[in-house]
Order: sequence, then C-alpha cells, then structure tokens
Amino acid sequence: MRIVRYSYPSYRNLSPVTGAFNRAPWSGLENEIDRLFQSVVTDASPRFPVDLYEDKANAYVRAELPGINRADIGVELAEGELTITAARKTPATEGQAEETFNYRRVLTVPEDVQADQISAAYENGVLTVTLPKRAETQPKKITVAVK
Amino acid sequence: MSLFNTLIPSFTRGTETASAPTQTVRPAYDVKQTPEAYHVTAYLPGVAKDGLEVTAEGTEIRIAGRRAWQQPEGWTPLYRETAGTAYELTLTHDNAIDADKISAELTDGVLRVTLPKAEAVKPRKIAVN
Repeated sequence: MRIVRYSYPSYRNLSPVTGAFNRAPWSGLENEIDRLFQSVVTDASPRFPVDLYEDKANAYVRAELPGINRADIGVELAEGELTITAARKTPATEGQAEETFNYRRVLTVPEDVQADQISAAYENGVLTVTLPKRAETQPKKITVAVK
Repeated sequence: MSLFNTLIPSFTRGTETASAPTQTVRPAYDVKQTPEAYHVTAYLPGVAKDGLEVTAEGTEIRIAGRRAWQQPEGWTPLYRETAGTAYELTLTHDNAIDADKISAELTDGVLRVTLPKAEAVKPRKIAVN
C-alpha cells in the first residue's frame, strides 16, 4: 500500500536563512524523533492545518485541503463538535488502482454558534467554514440619550 | 566604526543580506516519472492563478506562489497552524527536458507541471537486422 499524504511544510524546511541558524543544533534530530512517534501514534488520521478566526458576528475555521473535490468534503456539527472530513482521490494510472486517502478532524466550537446557519466555501484549496454567533452574544451598541 | 568597516567589509555585508530576503516556505511536492515526461505535483493551498509564477531557466524550474487570501479587517486570529508565507520551490534537472513544451495546471491549490522529456533521451526500440 502506498500512502499519499499531504504534510504541511514545517519550520524544518523553511528557507535556510531562518531555518539553519536560529535554532538549536539538535532541534533537527528532536523534530525527527517527534515526527516518528507522532506517525506511530496518530497514523490513522493525519491532520491538516486549521486556522481559527473570529469577528463580531461570526467565527471562522479555515482548513488547508488542497486538491479535493467539493463532493468529497464533509462538514458536520453535532453536540458542539465540528467535524471536517475529506477524501483525496488519486486517479487510477497504469498498473495502479484508484487510491483514496481520508482526512478527518474534530474541533470544539463555542456554544453560542447558530448551528443551522453554518456555511462553508472551498476556494483555491482552502475550506472556509463560517459559524454565525447567536444574536444575544454579539456585542450590542446602545445609544443612551442624555437629557 | 567606519574604519573598522572598511577593514573588514564582510561585517556590513552580513547585516545587509540578513534583512533583505523575505521568508518563503517549501511546499509539499512530489515528482513522478513516465517514459514520456516528468510530472511535478506541488500542493499550494491558498494560491490563485494570478499569484503563481512558474519559470524555467537553464536547468532550474522555479515555482513561486503567494497566497491570494488576506486576513480581512476585523478578523481576530484565535488559533493558527498555517504561516501565511509565500511558497517557493526550485527544482534542478539535467536539461534533458523539452523546455518549449512544459505545461502547468492549477486546480484547487494543486499545481501539476508536466515536463516532457527531450526526444534524445526517450526510450526507443532499435530494430535488429
């Protein structure tokens, strides 16, 4: 079996200017050991990088999932947990059958999210999930007339 | 100090070059070979077509992509795993490719570059008399 995984470029392969000089001499080895153990422990579901943002009205989740068909991306919210699933399909080539590689990540979302108003968009290989906050938790501006 | 700098010019040069380069990250990529061509697949999430540059010069293929998305006004980052830096990948080859027929395709943050092999290095069958 061949595993095709997308691993996020880490600081280990940053440009040599920042990568080689500003770190401890053994950090490369430590990273390798960490990676080795991580690959044993969490091999079943590799993680894809996720960013969380917030503004006054919404919370946002941005996940980097390059090269995945829109039909193979799943976004689910159940009991305060947002589950993002994706399947990368490598098309069949000569001598090789079609391969599927599954990604899955569960995130805990705040309680004040309107579950029925969640929307998601996929653009340039980045999935953006918009989670609108409930009206009562949004900051309100009250103008008080001074007599 | 100026006398010192003229005596050992490498000191000033060092600070100039240190501030100049912008940080880039090497994207995840793979290279596959078929009898006809080399296929480079680079994963560039967040890069749109107009922010991407693929250049072939001499024995180097350079892929540079900057992210199309900018953090909108009012968005507060709560937790980040991505860096937002531009991507840069330089691959060298042995000049056995047909530079005029290089093609590239970007879909959903995945760049596929096809580098056709030059006619001279393609496998050919030799008829035995």
